[in-house]
Amino acid sequence: MIARPHLLWLLVPFVLYAGALPFVNRVEPTVAGLPFFFAWLIGATVLTPFAVWMTWRGDRKHRNHQKGHGQ
Amino acid sequence: MNAAIATTVFAVFMVATVALGLLAVRGRGGQGGLAEWSVGGRSLGAVFIWVLMAGEGYTSFSYLGAAGWGYNYGAPVLYVVAYMSCGYAVGYVVGPMLWAYARDHQLVGITDMISHRYGKPWLGAAVAVLATVFLLPYIQLQITGMGVVVSTISYGTISLNWAYFLAFAITTGFVVVSGLRGSAWVSVLKDVLVIGTLAFLAIYVPLHYFDGYGPFLDRIVEQKRDWLTLPGHGESGLGMAWFASTTVLNAFTVVIFPTTVAGYLGARDADALRRNAILLPAYNILLFVPMLLGMAALFVVPGLAGADSNLALFKLVVDSLPAWAVGVIGVAAALSSIVPMAVFMLVIGTMWGRSVLSHVPRLHSQERQKNASQVVVVIAGTLALIMTYAAPNTLVRLSLISYEGMAQLLPMLLLGLVWRRLTTAAALSGLAVGVAIVCALVFTENDPVWGINAGLVALAANIAVALVVTWAGPKDRDVRPHREVLAKEPLVDEPAGA
Repeated sequence: MIARPHLLWLLVPFVLYAGALPFVNRVEPTVAGLPFFFAWLIGATVLTPFAVWMTWRGDRKHRNHQKGHGQ
Repeated sequence: MNAAIATTVFAVFMVATVALGLLAVRGRGGQGGLAEWSVGGRSLGAVFIWVLMAGEGYTSFSYLGAAGWGYNYGAPVLYVVAYMSCGYAVGYVVGPMLWAYARDHQLVGITDMISHRYGKPWLGAAVAVLATVFLLPYIQLQITGMGVVVSTISYGTISLNWAYFLAFAITTGFVVVSGLRGSAWVSVLKDVLVIGTLAFLAIYVPLHYFDGYGPFLDRIVEQKRDWLTLPGHGESGLGMAWFASTTVLNAFTVVIFPTTVAGYLGARDADALRRNAILLPAYNILLFVPMLLGMAALFVVPGLAGADSNLALFKLVVDSLPAWAVGVIGVAAALSSIVPMAVFMLVIGTMWGRSVLSHVPRLHSQERQKNASQVVVVIAGTLALIMTYAAPNTLVRLSLISYEGMAQLLPMLLLGLVWRRLTTAAALSGLAVGVAIVCALVFTENDPVWGINAGLVALAANIAVALVVTWAGPKDRDVRPHREVLAKEPLVDEPAGA
């Protein structure tokens, strides 16, 4: 875990979907007509793949790094 | 006339589905035994795993329950999107870990993993029985879900009881023959139809009934404000604490759910699972559609109550579209029942074949285990069908504890795989306490309890008990080295042969 700090990216969806609730549980302002809460969750759904991708990218670097040391 | 057209479209696609399942296993039928049937011989690539796992996540609930919740409560239904997205993030770590553990020790499911971890086959058998109790309600939910869809799109000409039987017969026949590989193939057809029909409905329904999105959304914001934030409409009790606790609990539960694990184990390599964890959350965008359309139904077909609210989306479809389109959308919804139901049955069959019936000496070989598993599939399906007719409420009540009950396996499985000191006695006492608390709270209608998901409260007690018993209780005498017993993420040494 300490060797892979990029795993912290995986907390992003939890923050967006659960942690942020008190601030986003509202109707106004609407975003392109959508109630704010719905718009927020759609945004979270779009950002989650990005967060997981950042983790994956971190792991790839980590892996290459380890290989470099091993050989 | 309408009924004939819609039913014909439906029948053609059902025949195609079974044919696709047969085609998938052509030439592989006899070989591979249980591992080929239950985890596709561990050979499915990234794309198949993607469609299969997306297929499992997208059940008939998405068409029926999601629209129904949207109709009844509104915003709380979005917890489904929340926990699935977070679950994929958790699965990024847990998926490859379970996959590698299963590959290294030739395991085919979570009960198998538990037997191996604790070195006690009876424990795997006991967990298999418990997990079956939690899974059966899901099969019944899919049978009733598909039955309702079939009956609705045939404009009532196929009675509900016949529709239930059809759902059971098609799925059971399909899964016995084709196993996980066939399910993955049919998932492709299903995904195309689901994405196509939902994208279409997302555009068509607001245009047809409201002159477009702008007016539709304006009207919701003006007239249905209650529905748009937590805790939603009515005395739901589904507030922010419930939403957050359910998201966290389910995100961890979904990664050990036996059907999810079946998908993990089917993967060819660990990186296929990681790439999936990146892409799958995007699929959840589709889930917003039935939820929004369920709310649109508030204006078009007001006053649906009880189980009828689950038909919110289909009432719109039948009301506004020609018969052939009704048929196609019915097929998409039916496949959304068939694929998950097939995987549920497969998992029950695998658990029993491997962890329970394998204790019968005559059923020891791989091929015999597979046959025994297939028999169990038919028995489980029949049981679910009989209960659908005879005692529908029993399974509905059980389904309330399914997810929260399954969550109680988290310490025994996940904590056990990374922490050697967790003893059999500790894991088992934790599980017993957790399940007891879930049952007690849910059946006395105290879920959510203090605004929090009862399963999370039970899980906290479960972990506390497991820790105390580990420190104070009897120690396991297991001489195997850590690397035999614990799991680790296969980060550097990727596939065994590569």
